[in-house]
This record gives sequence, C-alpha cells and structure tokens, in this order.
Amino acid sequence: MTREPNAVDFWRGFALITIFIDHIPGLFYASYTLGNVSISDAADLFVFLAGWSLRLMSEGRGERRPIRDVMLRLFGRALEIYAAQVLITMLAIAILALSATELDNPLLLQWHNAAAVFTDPVTTHIGLAVLTHQLGYFDILPLYVVLMLMAPFFALVDRIAPKLLLPLSLGLYVCVLAFRLTLPTWPVAGTWFFNPLAWQAIFVLGFTLAESRRGLGAFARRHIGWLRVIGVPIVIAGALVHIFDLWPDPTNVPNPKLFFIADKTFMTPMRLVQFLALVAVFSFAWPYIRRGREMLYLSRPVGALIGLLAMLGRNSLYVFCVGSLLSLSAQVVRLYYRGSATSDAAVVLFGIIIMAVTAWLAESRQRGRPAPSSAQRLPAR
Amino acid sequence: MSKACQPGASQPAGEAPLPNVAAALASRRPLRILSMGAAPGRIGTHGGTYTAQIERMLQSALKVTAIEIVNRGVSGELAANTALRMKNEVALEEPDLVLWQVGTNDALAYVPVDEFAEAVKDQLTWLKAHKVDVVLVGLQFAPQMLRDAHYDEIRETLRRVAAEENIIVIRFFEAMQILNPPDTEASMPPAEEFERGEAGYDCLSQYVARAITLGVFAKGIHPPAQTPK
Repeated sequence: MTREPNAVDFWRGFALITIFIDHIPGLFYASYTLGNVSISDAADLFVFLAGWSLRLMSEGRGERRPIRDVMLRLFGRALEIYAAQVLITMLAIAILALSATELDNPLLLQWHNAAAVFTDPVTTHIGLAVLTHQLGYFDILPLYVVLMLMAPFFALVDRIAPKLLLPLSLGLYVCVLAFRLTLPTWPVAGTWFFNPLAWQAIFVLGFTLAESRRGLGAFARRHIGWLRVIGVPIVIAGALVHIFDLWPDPTNVPNPKLFFIADKTFMTPMRLVQFLALVAVFSFAWPYIRRGREMLYLSRPVGALIGLLAMLGRNSLYVFCVGSLLSLSAQVVRLYYRGSATSDAAVVLFGIIIMAVTAWLAESRQRGRPAPSSAQRLPAR
Repeated sequence: MSKACQPGASQPAGEAPLPNVAAALASRRPLRILSMGAAPGRIGTHGGTYTAQIERMLQSALKVTAIEIVNRGVSGELAANTALRMKNEVALEEPDLVLWQVGTNDALAYVPVDEFAEAVKDQLTWLKAHKVDVVLVGLQFAPQMLRDAHYDEIRETLRRVAAEENIIVIRFFEAMQILNPPDTEASMPPAEEFERGEAGYDCLSQYVARAITLGVFAKGIHPPAQTPK
C-alpha cells in the first residue's frame, strides 16, 4: 500500500526529473531547469528533502520511534545507498565500455572520470569501493552515504539535546568554510564534488525545519508570511544574477572567501540563503497545486502530474539510480544522433517514462506485501 | 622530451606568454598551477597522475622545488560551467597559471560553436585581467573524430580563440594524429585505440611542461607548426 501524494514526495519527484535533465550536458532543455534561474539547484532541494524525510522517519506518526531503531534503520539506509552507488557505477562503466565498442569510439572510455578505471584498474577499483573515485554525474549518492552515516548522530543529538543540533551542524559548516575542509579523492588527486562536511548543513536544516512543534521549524511556520516577504527579493535577485551573469568577482570578496562566493562544492552561504528563500516562497505552492485536482478542466492533467511526481518521489532511490543511468545513456544517444530540440524532447520524454515505470514496478512489488504500519510509511528517502 | 613524443611536439604561439609564471619564479615564490578540465583525471601508463608527471618535469626543467599543482578538474564538464567554477578556484587557490583542457566535452555534447568560443574567450579575458597565465590543452584524439565536422569546428575554434588572445594551446589532437599514423587508424579496436591514446598522455605531460618552460624562458617564439587536418 502506498502513501497519498504529499509535498515532500511531489517536490522530490520534481527534483529527480530536473537532475535527470541537468545530467545531460548540452541538452536543449537543460537550459530551462531550476539551476538556470536560481543560485541553488535541484541537488540542494533533493538533499534538503532527505533531511526533511529523516524527521518524518524519526518521529513516525503519532508515536516516536525508539532511537535505537532509528539509528539501525539509518545505518541500513546508508548501506543500501552504498550498494546502489556501487551497482550504478559498475553499470555506468559497462555502458561506456559497450558504447565505445559499438560506436567504435575510444573517447567514450575517457568520459566522466572513467579513464582511470581502464588505465589503472587495480587502485581505481579500490577507490570505487571506498567512494574516493567517483564518475562524473555519479557523485551525489556518495554524498548521501556519508550523510546517512552522519544521520544517526544527528538523530541522537536531536533526542538528547535538540537545541544543540543546529548549532553543532552550523558550527561544523562554518569551520569547513573557514578552513576549506573537504574530502579528498583517490587515486586521482582532487576533492569530492559534493563536500559532505558542508552539505550536511542543508540536510540538518531540512531535518530541523520539518519539526513543526518546536525550534526553528515552529518559528518558520509562525512567521512564514514575513519569511516570504524577505524571500521574494532574494529569489528574484538570484534569478537576475544568474540570467544576467551578475556574479560578484570572487577575487574581490574578503577572506575567508567561501563565505561570500557561490560555490556548489562547499554549498556556500549565498547558495544556502537563496535556497532557503526559495523554499519559503514556494512553500505556498503545494496546497494550490493539490487544489488544482478539483478544478473542472485541470483536474485530470494536474492529478496526473501530482500522481507522477509523487510516485517518483516515493521511490526516489530506485528512480535516481535509473535516472542516472538514463542520463548517461542519453549522452551516448545524443553523441550518435546529434542533439536537436526535437530529438532532445524525445530523450526527455523517454527518460521520464522509464523513470515512471521504475517507480511503478517498485510499488507493484510493495503491493504484494502486507500493508506497513502507519509509522513505516515514510522511509528516509 | 622522449624520442617517442618528439614528432608530435608543436611550438607554442605568442611572445613571452607566461609573464606571471616568470614573475613567480623570478621572485622565488612557490609556483602554483591550477589544473582544470578533463585531463586531471588521468593516471599515466607508468603510474602517477598526469599532473604529477608535469610537476616532476617542471621541477627538473625550471630548477625549482616549490611547485604545486592543484587539481580541480571535473570530467565531463562543459567549458561554460568550468569557466564559472574556475573563477572561484582562482580566487581560492591564487594560482600563477591555469592549465585548462577544454573542448572535448563541448564537442561531444554538440554545444554550438559560437557559445563555446564565447565561453572560452570571456574566460581567457578574465584570467588576463586577473594576472593569471593560461595554457590551454586542446581536444582529445580519436581517429573516428576526424570524420566529425562539429569536433573539427570546435578544434579549429579553440585554435583561433587562443591565437587571437595570444594564449599557448597544446594541440593535443594534432600531436596524437602525428604520433598515430593514418595507416593504422582504421583497423584498431576501441580498447587498443584507447590504450594508445592513454599512452599519448605521457607525451602530453611532456608537451605541457615544455610549453610552460618555453613560455617562461624563450624569446622570439616561432608560430605554430603546420599540422595535418
């Protein structure tokens, strides 16, 4: 039995489709996604919602789960995501190898950081297993693995001293920005594209804001009107900066520079603040979208859209994995057939259909099982 | 330079094109190089990364020990996105030189040529204004891409933009084309072609080290050698 569409699943489905499109460089429609009119993008939304879901899982419905169960579940989730990362990485390598062979093009073996897998397989396979070697566009799940390994600690602190969690998280975030702390890659020297030590801040903010009864979450709900008033100009300014290339020159900002520049790896404050403004402004949207199902002419398309996005969101790990592989396959297809607005539309449509089928199959499996208790219906995805 | 790589060596263009590197060396400051683009994800056929090989060769050629190459390459990234990220990295790392391998991903993603040219040109202008030298590394080689008109256009555009901005560009594709003569191109399966291409990265690190050394010390540099299309 699946849960009813809700805002978290709906927006997560939106983020999944956006990430799928964003991960096809050169795609015509990639110029029209969130990241083109916003400093933050779908990745921020995805991680924020993961933190939000952690709250729902931790609290359950009605009765709070025992902390030991929560921690075990989160470790299990980290393991599940790790297994997914290893699987899709191996499949991605196979896609590149097969494409290179079939299209008679060795350049495909060099794509997306794959070259080291073929030139130095001994050390690179160790790197793949310990997540220090990540293929290009296959670097979000390693972030998730680390966040899920940190999540039991977050959940524990939240139970013992809830007021301490956000200061601890933001304290780590500030240290990371001030001293540019990050995780290294190996065997190819570099750094993780998504720095988990910085991105944990948005994850914890999602976790904190999801708590409606106390703390920052309660405060945000009480003052949501004012937050939207503050948020609107920030969202508009972010769009203008992006559209008209008005980024501040990063060499002219004071030290420590990461506090003043827009950087994805470190999920810097400019990005974080713009994202939170975006959340405040668009938090009004879900009730209206849901109400669209009751409107005479819009009920069917709106209902179908809500159903589709919520279904994708409910099965986010499966859909994300398949979406990642589809993005890579789409790049190969575009290389062979060249991209155009029409062929790119077919690529996007096909991708969304396959992602929907994936989610539907995942739910079909669940339909055959006994109905979960109400508390089990909101997994931390 | 090794004998095997010599035939593919091409002369860099421009006069004294690396003044900021020369200034760093003259003032005995540690030389900082920021590596962007696809190439940093390389492990040479004899072990060690591509950037580590360049570092070693530069230490030997320039007789300085304090050289640091910071790798911030993201494989698969388009030039426009790299350009945006590079500004942050320049601000954070304060390099004397940026080593930028660019063009292959844009060519494979069919980015329009004028968009590519604008992205590269704007970035070169920005780097010049911020007193950071640049060495561009051109597109990767595969004989199959000789038949690809868009790949050819992007290659030619990069060469033209680099010439207009008086920037060194290592014409990797052309060098590999010379090293891998046409009579062997047709029959080789992709896996073997890939291995041969990877061996080319050993040569590329030598070309880059040589171009930087020449850019620092040489006077009256000759125009680029004519290479087969």
